[in-house]
Amino acid sequence: MSRNEFAGSRVLLVEDEEALAMGLEYNLTEEGYNVRMAADGKEAIDIFASVEFDLVILDIMLPYLDGFEVAKKMREKNPQIPILMLTARSGIKDRLRGLETGADDYMTKPFHLDEMLLRIQGMLRRKRWYRVKTDENPFYQIGKCTINFENLTCQSDKSEFQLTAREAILLKYLIENKDRIVSRQELLENVWHIHSEMETRTVDSFMARLRKYFEKDPKNPIYFKSVRGAGYMFREEGTRTQKRP
Amino acid sequence: MKKNRSLFYPIFIFVVAQVAWFLVIGLWIARYLINNIIFEQVGDNISPQLISKQSNILALIGGLILMVSVSVAMALIFRHLTIQLKLTHMYDNFIANVTHELKSPLASIQLYLETLKARNVPAFKQHEFMGSMINDARRLQYLIEAILDISGLEQKKFVYNFQVVTAGPVFKQLVNEAATQFKLPEESITVSGSADYPCVIDRGAMRIVFNNLMDNAIKYSKTPTKIFLHLSRHPRHVAVDFADQGIGISHKDQKKIFHKFHRIYGNHIPSVKGTGLGLSWAKEIIKAHGGKIKVHSEGVGMGSTFTIELPIYQTAKKRYIKQLLRITKKSRGDTDEQE
Repeated sequence: MSRNEFAGSRVLLVEDEEALAMGLEYNLTEEGYNVRMAADGKEAIDIFASVEFDLVILDIMLPYLDGFEVAKKMREKNPQIPILMLTARSGIKDRLRGLETGADDYMTKPFHLDEMLLRIQGMLRRKRWYRVKTDENPFYQIGKCTINFENLTCQSDKSEFQLTAREAILLKYLIENKDRIVSRQELLENVWHIHSEMETRTVDSFMARLRKYFEKDPKNPIYFKSVRGAGYMFREEGTRTQKRP
Repeated sequence: MKKNRSLFYPIFIFVVAQVAWFLVIGLWIARYLINNIIFEQVGDNISPQLISKQSNILALIGGLILMVSVSVAMALIFRHLTIQLKLTHMYDNFIANVTHELKSPLASIQLYLETLKARNVPAFKQHEFMGSMINDARRLQYLIEAILDISGLEQKKFVYNFQVVTAGPVFKQLVNEAATQFKLPEESITVSGSADYPCVIDRGAMRIVFNNLMDNAIKYSKTPTKIFLHLSRHPRHVAVDFADQGIGISHKDQKKIFHKFHRIYGNHIPSVKGTGLGLSWAKEIIKAHGGKIKVHSEGVGMGSTFTIELPIYQTAKKRYIKQLLRITKKSRGDTDEQE
Protein backbone atom coordinates (compact mmCIF):
# COMPACT_ATOMS: atom_id res chain seq x y z
CA MET A 1 0.00 0.00 0.00
CA SER A 2 1.24 3.52 -0.84
CA ARG A 3 2.37 6.18 1.63
CA ASN A 4 -0.55 8.03 3.16
CA GLU A 5 -0.49 11.84 3.07
CA PHE A 6 -3.12 11.91 5.83
CA ALA A 7 -1.20 9.70 8.29
CA GLY A 8 -1.78 10.89 11.83
CA SER A 9 -5.45 11.82 11.25
CA ARG A 10 -7.72 10.82 14.12
CA VAL A 11 -10.44 8.33 13.18
CA LEU A 12 -13.36 7.21 15.34
CA LEU A 13 -14.47 3.72 14.33
CA VAL A 14 -18.00 2.83 15.51
CA GLU A 15 -18.75 -0.84 14.82
CA ASP A 16 -20.45 -3.44 17.03
CA GLU A 17 -19.20 -6.46 15.05
CA GLU A 18 -16.05 -7.28 16.98
CA ALA A 19 -14.26 -9.18 14.19
CA LEU A 20 -14.95 -6.50 11.59
CA ALA A 21 -13.91 -3.73 14.00
CA MET A 22 -10.60 -5.45 14.77
CA GLY A 23 -9.86 -5.97 11.07
CA LEU A 24 -10.64 -2.34 10.27
CA GLU A 25 -8.60 -1.06 13.19
CA TYR A 26 -5.60 -3.10 12.04
CA ASN A 27 -5.80 -1.71 8.50
CA LEU A 28 -6.41 1.89 9.53
CA THR A 29 -3.51 1.74 12.00
CA GLU A 30 -1.28 0.28 9.28
CA GLU A 31 -2.25 3.25 7.10
CA GLY A 32 -1.00 5.58 9.82
CA TYR A 33 -4.32 6.76 11.29
CA ASN A 34 -4.88 7.13 15.03
CA VAL A 35 -7.89 4.93 15.64
CA ARG A 36 -10.29 4.98 18.57
CA MET A 37 -13.05 2.36 18.70
CA ALA A 38 -16.64 2.41 20.01
CA ALA A 39 -18.92 -0.64 20.10
CA ASP A 40 -22.31 1.08 20.44
CA GLY A 41 -24.09 4.36 19.79
CA LYS A 42 -23.89 5.68 23.36
CA GLU A 43 -20.17 5.01 23.67
CA ALA A 44 -19.59 6.71 20.30
CA ILE A 45 -21.39 9.88 21.42
CA ASP A 46 -19.50 9.93 24.74
CA ILE A 47 -16.10 9.57 23.06
CA PHE A 48 -17.00 12.12 20.36
CA ALA A 49 -17.98 14.64 23.03
CA SER A 50 -14.57 14.50 24.69
CA VAL A 51 -12.09 13.94 21.83
CA GLU A 52 -11.50 15.80 18.53
CA PHE A 53 -11.60 13.62 15.42
CA ASP A 54 -10.87 14.19 11.72
CA LEU A 55 -13.23 11.48 10.47
CA VAL A 56 -15.84 9.02 11.72
CA ILE A 57 -16.56 5.55 10.33
CA LEU A 58 -20.04 4.66 11.51
CA ASP A 59 -22.05 1.43 11.29
CA ILE A 60 -25.84 1.95 11.05
CA MET A 61 -27.21 -1.01 13.03
CA LEU A 62 -25.81 -0.28 16.49
CA PRO A 63 -27.01 -1.05 20.01
CA TYR A 64 -28.72 1.73 22.04
CA LEU A 65 -28.59 4.44 19.33
CA ASP A 66 -28.54 3.66 15.63
CA GLY A 67 -26.06 5.20 13.20
CA PHE A 68 -28.57 7.78 11.93
CA GLU A 69 -29.14 9.17 15.44
CA VAL A 70 -25.42 9.07 16.21
CA ALA A 71 -24.64 11.00 12.99
CA LYS A 72 -27.27 13.60 13.88
CA LYS A 73 -25.84 14.13 17.36
CA MET A 74 -22.29 14.32 16.02
CA ARG A 75 -23.35 16.91 13.44
CA GLU A 76 -24.85 19.04 16.24
CA LYS A 77 -21.44 19.19 17.89
CA ASN A 78 -19.33 19.42 14.74
CA PRO A 79 -21.22 20.14 11.48
CA GLN A 80 -18.11 19.64 9.35
CA ILE A 81 -16.94 16.25 10.61
CA PRO A 82 -16.73 13.80 7.66
CA ILE A 83 -18.81 10.68 8.34
CA LEU A 84 -18.48 7.45 6.38
CA MET A 85 -21.44 5.15 6.97
CA LEU A 86 -20.97 1.40 6.78
CA THR A 87 -24.02 -0.77 6.49
CA ALA A 88 -25.40 -4.09 5.36
CA ARG A 89 -28.44 -2.33 3.91
CA SER A 90 -28.06 -1.54 0.24
CA GLY A 91 -31.56 -0.25 -0.59
CA ILE A 92 -31.80 3.17 -2.25
CA LYS A 93 -34.03 4.43 0.61
CA ASP A 94 -31.37 3.56 3.18
CA ARG A 95 -28.66 5.21 1.09
CA LEU A 96 -30.69 8.39 0.78
CA ARG A 97 -31.59 8.39 4.47
CA GLY A 98 -27.92 7.94 5.33
CA LEU A 99 -26.89 10.84 3.12
CA GLU A 100 -29.77 13.01 4.34
CA THR A 101 -28.97 12.48 8.01
CA GLY A 102 -25.50 13.77 7.41
CA ALA A 103 -23.33 10.95 6.13
CA ASP A 104 -20.73 12.19 3.65
CA ASP A 105 -20.27 8.79 2.13
CA TYR A 106 -21.97 5.44 2.31
CA MET A 107 -20.49 1.95 1.81
CA THR A 108 -22.36 -1.33 1.87
CA LYS A 109 -21.00 -4.50 3.42
CA PRO A 110 -19.12 -6.45 2.17
CA PHE A 111 -16.75 -3.80 0.82
CA HIS A 112 -13.31 -3.76 -0.77
CA LEU A 113 -10.50 -2.65 1.51
CA ASP A 114 -8.76 -0.58 -1.21
CA GLU A 115 -11.95 1.25 -2.08
CA MET A 116 -12.66 2.08 1.54
CA LEU A 117 -9.16 3.43 2.16
CA LEU A 118 -9.39 5.55 -0.99
CA ARG A 119 -12.75 6.94 0.08
CA ILE A 120 -11.35 7.84 3.50
CA GLN A 121 -8.48 9.70 1.84
CA GLY A 122 -10.95 11.42 -0.48
CA MET A 123 -13.03 12.59 2.47
CA LEU A 124 -9.98 13.90 4.33
CA ARG A 125 -8.77 15.68 1.16
CA ARG A 126 -12.20 17.26 0.73
CA LYS A 127 -12.17 18.37 4.34
CA ARG A 128 -8.78 20.03 3.87
CA TRP A 129 -9.90 21.75 0.61
CA TYR A 130 -13.08 22.93 2.29
CA ARG A 131 -11.11 24.27 5.27
CA VAL A 132 -8.82 26.31 3.00
CA LYS A 133 -11.70 27.68 0.91
CA THR A 134 -13.77 28.49 3.99
CA ASP A 135 -10.89 30.42 5.56
CA GLU A 136 -10.67 32.49 2.35
CA ASN A 137 -14.42 33.18 2.11
CA PRO A 138 -16.39 32.12 5.17
CA PHE A 139 -19.64 33.87 4.10
CA TYR A 140 -21.59 33.98 0.88
CA GLN A 141 -24.92 35.40 -0.08
CA ILE A 142 -27.44 33.89 -2.46
CA GLY A 143 -30.54 36.06 -2.84
CA LYS A 144 -31.65 36.94 0.66
CA CYS A 145 -29.89 33.98 2.19
CA THR A 146 -26.50 34.35 3.90
CA ILE A 147 -24.51 31.15 4.10
CA ASN A 148 -22.00 30.66 6.89
CA PHE A 149 -19.59 27.97 5.67
CA GLU A 150 -18.04 27.58 9.10
CA ASN A 151 -21.07 26.43 11.03
CA LEU A 152 -23.03 25.45 7.88
CA THR A 153 -26.02 27.66 8.63
CA CYS A 154 -28.12 29.69 6.19
CA GLN A 155 -29.78 32.81 7.50
CA SER A 156 -32.62 34.47 5.61
CA ASP A 157 -35.15 37.17 6.61
CA LYS A 158 -37.61 34.59 7.82
CA SER A 159 -35.66 31.60 8.99
CA GLU A 160 -32.38 29.88 9.68
CA PHE A 161 -31.57 26.36 8.58
CA GLN A 162 -28.66 23.97 8.63
CA LEU A 163 -26.82 22.54 5.64
CA THR A 164 -25.27 19.10 5.75
CA ALA A 165 -21.52 18.88 5.23
CA ARG A 166 -22.02 17.40 1.77
CA GLU A 167 -24.45 20.13 0.72
CA ALA A 168 -21.97 22.75 1.89
CA ILE A 169 -19.10 21.20 -0.05
CA LEU A 170 -21.25 20.93 -3.19
CA LEU A 171 -22.32 24.55 -2.80
CA LYS A 172 -18.75 25.67 -2.23
CA TYR A 173 -17.60 23.77 -5.32
CA LEU A 174 -20.34 25.30 -7.47
CA ILE A 175 -19.51 28.80 -6.16
CA GLU A 176 -15.80 28.23 -6.87
CA ASN A 177 -16.77 27.28 -10.44
CA LYS A 178 -19.50 29.86 -10.98
CA ASP A 179 -20.62 30.67 -14.54
CA ARG A 180 -19.01 27.45 -15.77
CA ILE A 181 -20.84 24.26 -16.74
CA VAL A 182 -19.90 21.42 -14.44
CA SER A 183 -20.88 17.89 -15.42
CA ARG A 184 -22.40 15.38 -13.04
CA GLN A 185 -19.29 13.22 -13.40
CA GLU A 186 -17.09 16.18 -12.44
CA LEU A 187 -19.21 16.78 -9.35
CA LEU A 188 -19.12 13.10 -8.44
CA GLU A 189 -15.35 13.02 -8.77
CA ASN A 190 -14.62 16.25 -6.95
CA VAL A 191 -17.38 16.46 -4.37
CA TRP A 192 -18.14 12.79 -3.75
CA HIS A 193 -14.84 11.35 -4.97
CA ILE A 194 -16.70 8.57 -6.74
CA HIS A 195 -15.75 7.46 -10.24
CA SER A 196 -19.04 6.05 -11.41
CA GLU A 197 -21.58 6.66 -14.13
CA MET A 198 -24.20 4.95 -11.99
CA GLU A 199 -24.50 7.49 -9.19
CA THR A 200 -25.50 10.58 -11.17
CA ARG A 201 -28.96 10.48 -9.57
CA THR A 202 -27.29 11.31 -6.25
CA VAL A 203 -26.05 14.60 -7.77
CA ASP A 204 -29.55 15.38 -9.07
CA SER A 205 -31.12 14.76 -5.66
CA PHE A 206 -28.61 17.12 -3.98
CA MET A 207 -29.14 19.80 -6.66
CA ALA A 208 -32.90 19.51 -6.10
CA ARG A 209 -32.29 20.18 -2.41
CA LEU A 210 -30.13 23.24 -3.08
CA ARG A 211 -32.85 24.62 -5.36
CA LYS A 212 -35.44 24.01 -2.67
CA TYR A 213 -33.32 25.97 -0.20
CA PHE A 214 -32.31 28.93 -2.37
CA GLU A 215 -34.65 29.30 -5.33
CA LYS A 216 -37.94 31.17 -5.14
CA ASP A 217 -39.35 28.84 -7.78
CA PRO A 218 -37.32 25.60 -7.81
CA LYS A 219 -38.92 24.61 -11.14
CA ASN A 220 -37.57 27.76 -12.81
CA PRO A 221 -34.17 28.19 -11.15
CA ILE A 222 -32.20 31.43 -11.37
CA TYR A 223 -29.02 30.33 -9.59
CA PHE A 224 -28.72 26.56 -10.04
CA LYS A 225 -29.37 26.09 -13.74
CA SER A 226 -29.53 22.78 -15.61
CA VAL A 227 -27.71 22.64 -18.93
CA ARG A 228 -29.32 19.92 -21.01
CA GLY A 229 -26.95 17.04 -21.73
CA ALA A 230 -24.02 18.82 -20.04
CA GLY A 231 -24.67 19.24 -16.31
CA TYR A 232 -25.25 22.21 -14.04
CA MET A 233 -24.14 25.83 -13.87
CA PHE A 234 -24.19 28.18 -10.89
CA ARG A 235 -25.03 31.78 -11.92
CA GLU A 236 -24.01 34.51 -9.55
CA GLU A 237 -26.77 36.80 -10.82
CA GLY A 238 -27.98 38.77 -7.81
CA THR A 239 -25.44 37.22 -5.46
CA ARG A 240 -22.31 38.67 -3.87
CA THR A 241 -19.57 37.64 -1.49
CA GLN A 242 -19.49 39.15 1.97
CA LYS A 243 -16.49 39.98 4.05
CA ARG A 244 -16.09 38.48 7.52
CA PRO A 245 -17.89 40.81 9.97
CA MET B 1 -44.93 6.29 10.53
CA LYS B 2 -44.71 4.15 7.42
CA LYS B 3 -46.76 1.48 9.13
CA ASN B 4 -49.47 4.00 10.07
CA ARG B 5 -49.69 5.24 6.50
CA SER B 6 -49.90 1.68 5.15
CA LEU B 7 -52.80 0.94 7.54
CA PHE B 8 -54.68 4.17 6.83
CA TYR B 9 -56.04 3.22 3.40
CA PRO B 10 -57.43 -0.22 4.31
CA ILE B 11 -59.05 1.21 7.46
CA PHE B 12 -60.53 4.10 5.46
CA ILE B 13 -61.87 1.78 2.76
CA PHE B 14 -63.27 -0.58 5.41
CA VAL B 15 -65.07 2.22 7.26
CA VAL B 16 -66.50 3.67 4.02
CA ALA B 17 -67.61 0.22 2.85
CA GLN B 18 -69.29 -0.53 6.19
CA VAL B 19 -71.08 2.85 6.25
CA ALA B 20 -72.26 2.28 2.67
CA TRP B 21 -73.43 -1.18 3.57
CA PHE B 22 -75.41 -0.03 6.61
CA LEU B 23 -77.01 2.66 4.42
CA VAL B 24 -78.10 -0.08 2.03
CA ILE B 25 -79.57 -2.02 4.99
CA GLY B 26 -81.35 1.17 6.13
CA LEU B 27 -82.74 1.75 2.63
CA TRP B 28 -83.84 -1.87 2.46
CA ILE B 29 -85.79 -1.53 5.75
CA ALA B 30 -87.24 1.86 4.68
CA ARG B 31 -88.32 0.41 1.34
CA TYR B 32 -89.99 -2.48 3.11
CA LEU B 33 -91.86 -0.19 5.53
CA ILE B 34 -93.00 2.23 2.75
CA ASN B 35 -94.14 -0.62 0.52
CA ASN B 36 -95.93 -2.18 3.44
CA ILE B 37 -97.80 1.05 4.22
CA ILE B 38 -98.75 1.52 0.53
CA PHE B 39 -99.95 -2.05 0.28
CA GLU B 40 -101.98 -1.71 3.46
CA GLN B 41 -103.59 1.51 2.20
CA VAL B 42 -104.26 0.64 -1.42
CA GLY B 43 -103.65 -3.08 -1.76
CA ASP B 44 -107.18 -4.09 -0.64
CA ASN B 45 -108.68 -1.91 -3.36
CA ILE B 46 -106.48 -3.34 -6.13
CA SER B 47 -106.27 -7.00 -5.26
CA PRO B 48 -106.58 -8.49 -1.74
CA GLN B 49 -104.52 -11.57 -2.85
CA LEU B 50 -101.44 -9.41 -3.30
CA ILE B 51 -101.05 -8.86 0.43
CA SER B 52 -99.41 -11.72 2.18
CA LYS B 53 -97.77 -10.52 5.44
CA GLN B 54 -95.81 -13.73 5.97
CA SER B 55 -93.97 -13.68 2.63
CA ASN B 56 -93.11 -9.96 3.06
CA ILE B 57 -91.58 -10.55 6.50
CA LEU B 58 -89.64 -13.54 5.15
CA ALA B 59 -88.25 -11.35 2.35
CA LEU B 60 -87.25 -8.68 4.89
CA ILE B 61 -85.55 -11.18 7.20
CA GLY B 62 -83.87 -12.96 4.28
CA GLY B 63 -82.56 -9.67 2.92
CA LEU B 64 -81.31 -8.58 6.33
CA ILE B 65 -79.53 -11.90 6.95
CA LEU B 66 -77.86 -11.61 3.55
CA MET B 67 -76.72 -8.05 4.16
CA VAL B 68 -75.46 -8.73 7.70
CA SER B 69 -73.59 -11.79 6.37
CA VAL B 70 -71.89 -9.64 3.73
CA SER B 71 -71.00 -7.11 6.42
CA VAL B 72 -69.49 -9.82 8.65
CA ALA B 73 -67.60 -11.22 5.64
CA MET B 74 -66.21 -7.75 4.95
CA ALA B 75 -65.09 -7.45 8.57
CA LEU B 76 -63.35 -10.85 8.34
CA ILE B 77 -61.62 -9.91 5.08
CA PHE B 78 -60.46 -6.66 6.68
CA ARG B 79 -59.12 -8.56 9.71
CA HIS B 80 -57.14 -10.91 7.46
CA LEU B 81 -55.86 -7.98 5.46
CA THR B 82 -54.53 -6.20 8.56
CA ILE B 83 -52.87 -9.44 9.72
CA GLN B 84 -51.31 -9.75 6.26
CA LEU B 85 -50.03 -6.17 6.44
CA LYS B 86 -48.53 -6.81 9.86
CA LEU B 87 -46.84 -9.97 8.57
CA THR B 88 -45.45 -8.09 5.58
CA HIS B 89 -44.01 -5.46 7.91
CA MET B 90 -42.46 -8.16 10.11
CA TYR B 91 -41.14 -9.97 7.04
CA ASP B 92 -39.45 -6.76 5.84
CA ASN B 93 -37.77 -6.46 9.24
CA PHE B 94 -36.75 -10.10 9.03
CA ILE B 95 -35.13 -9.57 5.61
CA ALA B 96 -33.26 -6.51 6.95
CA ASN B 97 -32.07 -8.51 9.98
CA VAL B 98 -31.04 -11.56 7.95
CA THR B 99 -29.22 -9.31 5.48
CA HIS B 100 -27.31 -7.79 8.38
CA GLU B 101 -26.58 -11.19 9.91
CA LEU B 102 -25.36 -12.61 6.58
CA LYS B 103 -23.39 -9.63 5.32
CA SER B 104 -21.55 -8.73 8.53
CA PRO B 105 -19.56 -12.00 8.84
CA LEU B 106 -19.08 -12.02 5.07
CA ALA B 107 -17.67 -8.48 5.19
CA SER B 108 -15.33 -9.51 7.98
CA ILE B 109 -14.06 -12.58 6.08
CA GLN B 110 -13.53 -10.51 2.91
CA LEU B 111 -11.71 -7.79 4.87
CA TYR B 112 -9.31 -10.30 6.46
CA LEU B 113 -8.63 -12.06 3.14
CA GLU B 114 -7.92 -8.77 1.36
CA THR B 115 -5.71 -7.69 4.26
CA LEU B 116 -3.71 -10.91 4.08
CA LYS B 117 -3.34 -10.45 0.31
CA ALA B 118 -2.34 -6.79 0.41
CA ARG B 119 -0.14 -6.56 3.50
CA ASN B 120 2.78 -8.28 5.15
CA VAL B 121 0.87 -9.49 8.19
CA PRO B 122 3.02 -10.91 11.03
CA ALA B 123 2.51 -14.61 11.79
CA PHE B 124 0.77 -14.09 15.15
CA LYS B 125 -1.71 -11.67 13.53
CA GLN B 126 -2.30 -14.09 10.68
CA HIS B 127 -3.26 -16.71 13.25
CA GLU B 128 -5.66 -14.24 14.89
CA PHE B 129 -7.22 -13.37 11.52
CA MET B 130 -7.69 -17.06 10.66
CA GLY B 131 -9.48 -17.59 13.98
CA SER B 132 -11.84 -14.69 13.25
CA MET B 133 -12.55 -15.99 9.76
CA ILE B 134 -13.32 -19.48 11.07
CA ASN B 135 -15.70 -17.97 13.67
CA ASP B 136 -17.46 -15.91 11.01
CA ALA B 137 -17.73 -18.88 8.67
CA ARG B 138 -19.30 -20.86 11.56
CA ARG B 139 -21.72 -18.02 12.21
CA LEU B 140 -22.76 -18.03 8.56
CA GLN B 141 -23.15 -21.80 8.59
CA TYR B 142 -25.28 -21.66 11.76
CA LEU B 143 -27.55 -18.98 10.31
CA ILE B 144 -28.02 -20.77 6.98
CA GLU B 145 -28.76 -24.06 8.77
CA ALA B 146 -31.22 -22.28 11.06
CA ILE B 147 -33.14 -20.80 8.14
CA LEU B 148 -33.24 -24.16 6.35
CA ASP B 149 -34.25 -26.06 9.51
CA ILE B 150 -37.05 -23.62 10.30
CA SER B 151 -38.31 -23.96 6.77
CA GLY B 152 -38.19 -27.77 7.27
CA LEU B 153 -40.11 -27.46 10.56
CA GLU B 154 -42.87 -25.53 8.83
CA GLN B 155 -43.18 -28.03 6.05
CA LYS B 156 -43.07 -30.91 8.60
CA LYS B 157 -39.92 -32.20 6.89
CA PHE B 158 -37.66 -31.84 9.93
CA VAL B 159 -36.49 -35.32 10.97
CA TYR B 160 -36.36 -35.76 14.74
CA ASN B 161 -34.34 -38.37 16.51
CA PHE B 162 -36.34 -38.93 19.71
CA GLN B 163 -34.94 -41.14 22.43
CA VAL B 164 -35.98 -41.95 25.97
CA VAL B 165 -33.37 -40.32 28.23
CA THR B 166 -33.13 -39.07 31.83
CA ALA B 167 -34.11 -35.42 31.54
CA GLY B 168 -32.10 -33.76 34.36
CA PRO B 169 -28.55 -34.77 33.31
CA VAL B 170 -29.33 -34.06 29.64
CA PHE B 171 -30.56 -30.53 30.45
CA LYS B 172 -27.47 -29.84 32.59
CA GLN B 173 -25.14 -31.16 29.91
CA LEU B 174 -26.79 -29.11 27.15
CA VAL B 175 -26.65 -25.91 29.21
CA ASN B 176 -22.94 -26.51 29.97
CA GLU B 177 -22.27 -27.13 26.28
CA ALA B 178 -24.09 -23.91 25.35
CA ALA B 179 -22.05 -22.00 27.95
CA THR B 180 -18.82 -23.35 26.47
CA GLN B 181 -19.95 -22.44 22.95
CA PHE B 182 -20.79 -18.85 23.96
CA LYS B 183 -17.64 -18.55 26.12
CA LEU B 184 -19.56 -18.09 29.37
CA PRO B 185 -17.38 -19.06 32.40
CA GLU B 186 -18.39 -22.30 34.13
CA GLU B 187 -18.93 -20.50 37.46
CA SER B 188 -21.64 -18.36 35.85
CA ILE B 189 -24.02 -21.33 35.86
CA THR B 190 -25.86 -22.31 39.04
CA VAL B 191 -27.93 -25.50 39.02
CA SER B 192 -30.55 -26.41 41.63
CA GLY B 193 -33.23 -29.10 42.02
CA SER B 194 -33.40 -32.36 40.12
CA ALA B 195 -35.50 -33.97 37.43
CA ASP B 196 -34.06 -37.45 37.02
CA TYR B 197 -37.05 -38.86 35.19
CA PRO B 198 -37.33 -40.36 31.74
CA CYS B 199 -38.46 -38.08 28.93
CA VAL B 200 -38.58 -38.39 25.18
CA ILE B 201 -35.96 -35.98 23.88
CA ASP B 202 -34.16 -35.27 20.63
CA ARG B 203 -30.81 -34.22 22.01
CA GLY B 204 -29.76 -32.34 18.83
CA ALA B 205 -32.99 -30.34 18.66
CA MET B 206 -32.91 -29.62 22.40
CA ARG B 207 -29.33 -28.32 21.99
CA ILE B 208 -30.72 -25.75 19.55
CA VAL B 209 -33.26 -24.64 22.19
CA PHE B 210 -30.65 -24.15 24.93
CA ASN B 211 -28.20 -22.49 22.52
CA ASN B 212 -30.90 -20.00 21.61
CA LEU B 213 -31.74 -19.30 25.26
CA MET B 214 -28.05 -18.89 26.11
CA ASP B 215 -27.42 -16.64 23.09
CA ASN B 216 -30.37 -14.42 24.06
CA ALA B 217 -29.31 -14.31 27.74
CA ILE B 218 -25.84 -13.06 26.74
CA LYS B 219 -27.00 -10.70 23.99
CA TYR B 220 -29.64 -9.03 26.13
CA SER B 221 -27.51 -8.44 29.22
CA LYS B 222 -25.61 -5.21 29.73
CA THR B 223 -23.06 -6.87 32.02
CA PRO B 224 -21.87 -10.52 31.98
CA THR B 225 -24.89 -12.50 33.10
CA LYS B 226 -25.27 -15.45 35.45
CA ILE B 227 -27.56 -18.31 34.52
CA PHE B 228 -29.72 -20.04 37.14
CA LEU B 229 -30.99 -23.45 36.11
CA HIS B 230 -33.68 -24.98 38.27
CA LEU B 231 -35.01 -28.50 37.65
CA SER B 232 -38.26 -29.78 39.13
CA ARG B 233 -40.69 -32.66 38.86
CA HIS B 234 -44.45 -32.32 38.59
CA PRO B 235 -47.10 -35.09 38.51
CA ARG B 236 -47.03 -35.50 34.73
CA HIS B 237 -44.06 -33.47 33.55
CA VAL B 238 -40.57 -32.25 34.38
CA ALA B 239 -39.78 -28.54 34.26
CA VAL B 240 -36.56 -26.63 33.75
CA ASP B 241 -36.35 -22.93 34.58
CA PHE B 242 -33.64 -21.04 32.71
CA ALA B 243 -33.20 -17.65 34.41
CA ASP B 244 -30.83 -14.83 33.43
CA GLN B 245 -29.97 -11.39 34.83
CA GLY B 246 -30.54 -9.60 31.54
CA ILE B 247 -32.58 -6.56 30.60
CA GLY B 248 -35.88 -8.42 31.04
CA ILE B 249 -38.98 -8.31 28.86
CA SER B 250 -42.00 -6.03 29.23
CA HIS B 251 -45.38 -7.74 29.86
CA LYS B 252 -46.58 -6.66 26.44
CA ASP B 253 -43.61 -8.24 24.66
CA GLN B 254 -43.79 -11.45 26.69
CA LYS B 255 -46.89 -12.40 24.71
CA LYS B 256 -45.18 -11.84 21.39
CA ILE B 257 -41.59 -13.02 21.71
CA PHE B 258 -42.38 -16.54 20.51
CA HIS B 259 -43.98 -15.18 17.33
CA LYS B 260 -41.97 -15.66 14.19
CA PHE B 261 -39.92 -12.60 13.09
CA HIS B 262 -40.84 -10.72 16.29
CA ARG B 263 -37.99 -8.62 17.70
CA ILE B 264 -37.91 -6.05 20.45
CA TYR B 265 -36.50 -2.69 19.42
CA GLY B 266 -35.57 0.25 21.61
CA ASN B 267 -32.79 2.32 23.07
CA HIS B 268 -32.42 -0.04 26.05
CA ILE B 269 -31.49 -3.05 23.86
CA PRO B 270 -27.76 -3.81 24.17
CA SER B 271 -27.55 -5.86 20.94
CA VAL B 272 -28.91 -5.60 17.41
CA LYS B 273 -27.83 -9.07 16.33
CA GLY B 274 -30.48 -11.67 15.57
CA THR B 275 -33.17 -12.59 13.08
CA GLY B 276 -36.34 -12.88 15.17
CA LEU B 277 -36.49 -16.61 14.50
CA GLY B 278 -34.70 -18.15 17.51
CA LEU B 279 -37.54 -18.33 20.05
CA SER B 280 -40.16 -19.28 17.49
CA TRP B 281 -37.81 -22.10 16.46
CA ALA B 282 -37.38 -23.15 20.11
CA LYS B 283 -41.14 -23.16 20.61
CA GLU B 284 -41.71 -25.37 17.55
CA ILE B 285 -39.11 -27.84 18.82
CA ILE B 286 -40.62 -28.01 22.31
CA LYS B 287 -44.09 -28.38 20.80
CA ALA B 288 -42.85 -31.32 18.73
CA HIS B 289 -41.66 -32.89 22.03
CA GLY B 290 -45.23 -32.62 23.37
CA GLY B 291 -44.09 -29.94 25.83
CA LYS B 292 -44.47 -26.23 26.50
CA ILE B 293 -42.15 -23.24 26.71
CA LYS B 294 -43.11 -20.00 28.43
CA VAL B 295 -41.42 -16.86 29.66
CA HIS B 296 -41.74 -14.85 32.83
CA SER B 297 -40.17 -11.49 33.58
CA GLU B 298 -41.03 -8.90 36.20
CA GLY B 299 -40.41 -6.33 33.49
CA VAL B 300 -37.65 -4.33 31.84
CA GLY B 301 -34.38 -4.53 33.80
CA MET B 302 -35.56 -7.45 35.94
CA GLY B 303 -34.12 -10.47 34.08
CA SER B 304 -36.09 -13.22 32.37
CA THR B 305 -36.97 -16.81 33.18
CA PHE B 306 -37.82 -19.30 30.45
CA THR B 307 -39.61 -22.44 31.60
CA ILE B 308 -39.60 -25.63 29.54
CA GLU B 309 -42.01 -28.42 30.47
CA LEU B 310 -41.64 -31.89 28.99
CA PRO B 311 -44.01 -34.83 29.64
CA ILE B 312 -42.58 -37.68 31.69
CA TYR B 313 -42.36 -40.92 29.72
CA GLN B 314 -44.95 -43.53 30.84
CA THR B 315 -46.78 -40.97 32.99
CA ALA B 316 -48.31 -38.54 30.59
CA LYS B 317 -49.51 -38.40 27.02
CA LYS B 318 -48.56 -42.05 26.48
CA ARG B 319 -50.05 -42.27 23.05
CA TYR B 320 -48.40 -39.08 21.89
CA ILE B 321 -44.99 -40.12 23.17
CA LYS B 322 -45.26 -43.54 21.55
CA GLN B 323 -46.17 -41.78 18.34
CA LEU B 324 -43.03 -39.61 18.59
CA LEU B 325 -40.87 -42.70 19.06
CA ARG B 326 -42.61 -44.43 16.14
CA ILE B 327 -41.90 -41.40 13.91
CA THR B 328 -38.21 -41.55 14.84
CA LYS B 329 -38.05 -45.29 14.18
CA LYS B 330 -39.76 -44.86 10.83
CA SER B 331 -37.64 -41.91 9.68
CA ARG B 332 -34.46 -43.69 10.77
CA GLY B 333 -35.60 -46.79 8.90
CA ASP B 334 -36.14 -44.66 5.78
CA THR B 335 -32.67 -43.16 6.15
CA ASP B 336 -31.11 -46.62 6.59
CA GLU B 337 -32.89 -47.85 3.49
CA GLN B 338 -31.68 -44.85 1.52
CA GLU B 339 -28.13 -45.51 2.70
